[in-house]
Amino acid sequence: MTTNGQLASAPISRRRLLQGTALMGVAAFLAACGTKGTAATASPAASAAVPSAASAAGASAAASVAPTATPVPTPAPTDAAGAINWANWTYYMDVDPKDQKKHPTLDAFTKSTGLQVKYQEVVDDNETFFGTIQPQLQAGQDTGWDIVTLTDWMVARLIRLGWVQSFNLTNMPNFVANLKDTYKNVGWDPDGTHHAPWQSGMTGIGFDPAKTGNLTSLAAYFTPDPRWKGKTELLSEMRDTIGLTMLYLGLSTEQPTRDACDKSVVALQKAKSDGIIRGLKGNSYAEDLKAGDAVLVMAWSGDMVQVLVDKPGIKFNIADEGGMLWTDNSVIPNGAQHKNGAEKLIDWYYIPENAALVEDFVNYICPVKGADVALKKIDPTVASNPLIFPPDSTTARLHIFGALTEADETYFNQQFAKVLGVA
Amino acid sequence: MGTFLKRHRWVTPLALLAPGILWLLAFYAIPAFLMFVASFWSGTLETGFTFSLANWTNYPDAISQFMPFYIRSIVYAAAATMTTFLIAYPLAYTIAFKGGRYKNLMLFLVVAPFFTSFLLRTISWKIILGDVGPVLGPLKGIGVIPQDFHILATPMAVIAGITYNFLPFMTLPIYVALEKVDIRLVEAAKDLYAGPWRPGGLVTGGIFGGVLLSVLGLVFNADWPILGAFGAVFGAVVGWFLVSESFIRVTFPLSLSGVFAGGLLTFIPAIGDYINAELLGNPDTNMIGNVIQNKFLTQNDYPIASALSFAMMAGVLVVVAIYARILGTEELSAAAARA
Repeated sequence: MTTNGQLASAPISRRRLLQGTALMGVAAFLAACGTKGTAATASPAASAAVPSAASAAGASAAASVAPTATPVPTPAPTDAAGAINWANWTYYMDVDPKDQKKHPTLDAFTKSTGLQVKYQEVVDDNETFFGTIQPQLQAGQDTGWDIVTLTDWMVARLIRLGWVQSFNLTNMPNFVANLKDTYKNVGWDPDGTHHAPWQSGMTGIGFDPAKTGNLTSLAAYFTPDPRWKGKTELLSEMRDTIGLTMLYLGLSTEQPTRDACDKSVVALQKAKSDGIIRGLKGNSYAEDLKAGDAVLVMAWSGDMVQVLVDKPGIKFNIADEGGMLWTDNSVIPNGAQHKNGAEKLIDWYYIPENAALVEDFVNYICPVKGADVALKKIDPTVASNPLIFPPDSTTARLHIFGALTEADETYFNQQFAKVLGVA
Repeated sequence: MGTFLKRHRWVTPLALLAPGILWLLAFYAIPAFLMFVASFWSGTLETGFTFSLANWTNYPDAISQFMPFYIRSIVYAAAATMTTFLIAYPLAYTIAFKGGRYKNLMLFLVVAPFFTSFLLRTISWKIILGDVGPVLGPLKGIGVIPQDFHILATPMAVIAGITYNFLPFMTLPIYVALEKVDIRLVEAAKDLYAGPWRPGGLVTGGIFGGVLLSVLGLVFNADWPILGAFGAVFGAVVGWFLVSESFIRVTFPLSLSGVFAGGLLTFIPAIGDYINAELLGNPDTNMIGNVIQNKFLTQNDYPIASALSFAMMAGVLVVVAIYARILGTEELSAAAARA
């Protein structure tokens, strides 16, 4: 009975505790109201430790920094001491075959410039990572990162919010010279000085031809064929699934409209109610495709390179209607302590020989001119892989998902939440 | 120092409580309060959020729109808690009374899955239950089940996942309660002519099993009369052969504290769970945790996400309060023991 007794007495102490915190709560509440609520997000870590100090800090942060117009800190002429901190996705950098923790091209950078790099594979989801840097950026503080590599729509959001710094191009001659032309003049970064493409990938049809036959049309996702009904998986990334649906419906992904979004959602909901769709997944679709739980998926080209190694029967096609092209880009967030070093590091990978070494390890599409030529010398098989260096006939069918205003982005996400089954 | 403590007796308990209180303040009370404040915001990430009490409408808006997800979470969590109980009780009973010298080993085996991460354990179920995996593959091969039969991506998979993941939280408290049962009380009951529980066990077991599986069948659109009949027969057999009067009148009432604690430890985290729905479910099995995750991370709708979280906390408190009234009072277990 002691367990019971303890549980029975617990509410009393909890209630006393709440009475105590209520007083503190009122104090913090008044402080929060004074800053129109924005201060509350300023710094959860600090506020957790010392509540009164945090309110004060939050208040001053909110007073000096309005979320819409965050002033760009004046770049320091020289960087602070310490390593350049780079947040990137996993498997996005070359590794030493003998020591998985070593990245030869990064070591070469340190040798060449004397600058240390702390490279961390901490990004596995744009939104989750954004959630970790958003409070600091909103409060005008250093995020601890000098380079973060995120997908273009997220980079567009960061640029829109004024949370990333413009490059000093004198530090970046190779970037200026070797960025492929297709990556220039994007709507969300007109002068092209806020982001540097790192890798690109294609989104297309992945399938097991032994079960489905050869598929070249996006119509398959919307046709309740018994061969793939209930074994079809779409992507949980809104821009991929809505994008491919727009292409299927013959709508423009470059200029996405709310009307096109609505039509796509209707088509997707129909596919769900017809029992075609098993689920909407992140990277885990690749495992399901290998295990046979799915036979038709929307797939990312880089994953498919790996799947093909494990299960050679799988096929990846860019559909007749088209496929999506997306890019992960490096940006320098506000408050970065090592901006000069970060620019030099970004530029380092625009030297074709360095880009080729990375490309030999990662399976995505390289934005650097001459990387394919450089790679042919070291690894001709990779250089001729159409998933990594797609032929012009394929690239001609690729589309990008155009920039969305914040209001439209909210609208698209709300509509897509219905498809995800969370609205 | 000694005289100081003698003169100020309140210092010692306060000093002992301080670490716990500070911890709760820093990592529970203050974040919960900030979340509460955020639930009264309006605005967007880009324009900034503004606080106003007039935004109390966030609550009715959020709750009315997402009511089906709350209900689904409660149903799944309740079903999983019930299944966990049905598996854990015989397990804990066996370990406590029949474990002998293997008791510690068996307890270790109950906890052993916890040496692997929660995510890995759930993902491994995907492999085991795969459409052509080690369980369904051979069955499909010999034609026992149809080719398009699948367990993954169904409500059953989600509930099974929750059940599996929370099993130790139910087993251990029940074990602790059973372990403390004085075996002499059971012997005394037998001396007083407590025998097999017949025909009470037959009737009770039959009704309990029948109702439970019928309700589950109704909730999940399965063939409920067949399931109910199966449950009734199974329950009746168990009640007739396995349940004794001394168990019903002595052992079970004395273990109610463990059942109560195990029920809370399973039900509360199960309501908020979203990993099992995410990995083992389909778009129609999402729970409230999945909604909050999407609202918070994808839509950046912090006010609604906060309102949803806070409403869930309040809802769980209410459910737990009702549960505590029904099962948690000393009086009830004492009364049951007397009966």
